[in-house]
Amino acid sequence: MSAEATTIPPRNGNERKYKWYRFQKASAPYIFILPGVVFYLMVTIVPMITGFWMSFHNWNIIRPTQPWVGLANYRKLFADPLFWTAMKNTLTYSIGVVPLQMILALLVALLLNTGIKGKKFFRLLYYLPVITPLSIAAVIWTWIYHPNLGIFNQIVKFIGLAPQDWLGDPAWAMFSVILVAIWSGIGYRMVVYLAALQGIPRSYYEAAEIDGAGNWDAFRYITLPLLKPTTLYILVTSVISSFQVFGLVNVLTGGGPLDATQVVVSYIFKRAFGDLQFGLAAAMSFVLFGIILVITLIQWKFLGKEVTYE
Amino acid sequence: MSANVNSSTLDSALRNQKNQGPAKASKWGKIIGKVLAYIVVTLGAIMMALPFVWLILSSFKTLEEISLFPPTFFPKNPTLSNFREVFERIPFARYYMNSIITSVIPTVVTVITCSMAGFGFAKYKFAGRDVLFWVILATMMVPFPATIVPLYVMMAKAGLVNTYAGLIIVGLSSASGIFMMRQFMMTIPDELLDAARIDGASEFRIFNQIVIPLVKPALATQTLFTFTGHWGAYIWPLICVNSDKLRTLPLAIPYFSGQYFSYQNLINAASLMAIAPVLILFLFTQRYFVEGITITGMKG
Repeated sequence: MSAEATTIPPRNGNERKYKWYRFQKASAPYIFILPGVVFYLMVTIVPMITGFWMSFHNWNIIRPTQPWVGLANYRKLFADPLFWTAMKNTLTYSIGVVPLQMILALLVALLLNTGIKGKKFFRLLYYLPVITPLSIAAVIWTWIYHPNLGIFNQIVKFIGLAPQDWLGDPAWAMFSVILVAIWSGIGYRMVVYLAALQGIPRSYYEAAEIDGAGNWDAFRYITLPLLKPTTLYILVTSVISSFQVFGLVNVLTGGGPLDATQVVVSYIFKRAFGDLQFGLAAAMSFVLFGIILVITLIQWKFLGKEVTYE
Repeated sequence: MSANVNSSTLDSALRNQKNQGPAKASKWGKIIGKVLAYIVVTLGAIMMALPFVWLILSSFKTLEEISLFPPTFFPKNPTLSNFREVFERIPFARYYMNSIITSVIPTVVTVITCSMAGFGFAKYKFAGRDVLFWVILATMMVPFPATIVPLYVMMAKAGLVNTYAGLIIVGLSSASGIFMMRQFMMTIPDELLDAARIDGASEFRIFNQIVIPLVKPALATQTLFTFTGHWGAYIWPLICVNSDKLRTLPLAIPYFSGQYFSYQNLINAASLMAIAPVLILFLFTQRYFVEGITITGMKG
């Protein structure tokens, strides 16, 4: 619209200058988006299509030919008990991390929003784990969890519970991974919630107070409904990222002990770079992608209705 | 709800009238609530910070002290030798340099490509713009793991496995970056750009001299986000690199930790030095992180 209004050519100059002016004007949008879009699609869409193609082949990088095998990789995958174990572990991880992390993030955000002093300082502390490289955080936690030298067992004993081999015991390994994941992700979600809370007009609460609504009523009927889009956003992105967990698990446990923390991505990794079964690994990637897509669509469908009080 | 207005105002009127008791109690309730809020937030913050505090304290401990059972909290004989020894035992300087190279280059390039693309999407109308933009947003949902296997095969064919180029090439643009820049640049009034056009400025000059100075906060935010992301990158470097010479810090430290678990004093010093740049950067630029989250984390 604005572009039409401004096609005021510098006609007083020569014709070549005018041509150049028109050319740069017409080509500018494409030139602007070209590098960003090409670099991005080159490492997303292109591998995705390649991966889909690979998943129908018995693909091995060492062999010169890659025979077409149809759905054999998918069939093999669904018959593989370890794949289902990885699936189950991923689901356990997701259920263990996402709800608790969201509730804690919301709780902290609400408390920080009540006019507490040192809000910025607290926000800083909660955000520190978010910016720490995850694999290095995992190294720190490996040592914190160390049965003898780690501080975690000291705290556990102080509270009066029994010390454990947190990462070495199949019964506790997943719990320990989940704890680190919650620790590392609360800060980000808390800041998102905090930003949303600050966007709720004070007048809503004042009106509610005049009507005699208590704190709980205000939370239940004003805060929570108005936070719904934020909650949906956090939920969807948290579930997506929880299904892709890898780095944390790989450093903390390497998928062990006894596959107790083997998740889908670590299994993809193992099949691709351990066994060189690239076709099978690509098929697994697509199953994972499909699952994430379905879950995301379900979440949109059931929670996606926008709430506005305007 | 509107039907209840009368009864609820009546309720509150009655409650105020009854006696002074509840009012006083609610004042005490407020104080208790405040105290409780401080306690909960502080406890949470301690749990968040404890690993860092312990890491920092422990990186000054000697090997003997670190192997004590039960562990000590404060170092008895604080020493700086761990920080020196790390450089002697492993090629730590090399890892550090690798991390800097593979973080700084992609960050600079990403900020340029994303601000250009963001401008293109925000301020022009062209064929296929909306479709392309939605394709980019939709691919944000594609899990990175779904692309790593074919990406590796592609890179291997191009001969980029085990090279800096292979590490860098995957991080030259980002969907969230394009999205954030677009959101920022949509707020620039068209009249401003039109005024420059009437004066005969080319589109590229408009971008350089008008748009870029106006979106400096967005550039800062994106620089920080992208840098932090690359500094911590783990999965792609793990796949792309198997030569020790190309290891970045997020690869080298877990590897080192696996090889020399008994030298926890050195691992701690190395970890602290590896996370220090992002921690320091964050301390000074918190504001931009929060701004960036507010923009990208919220709906358009």
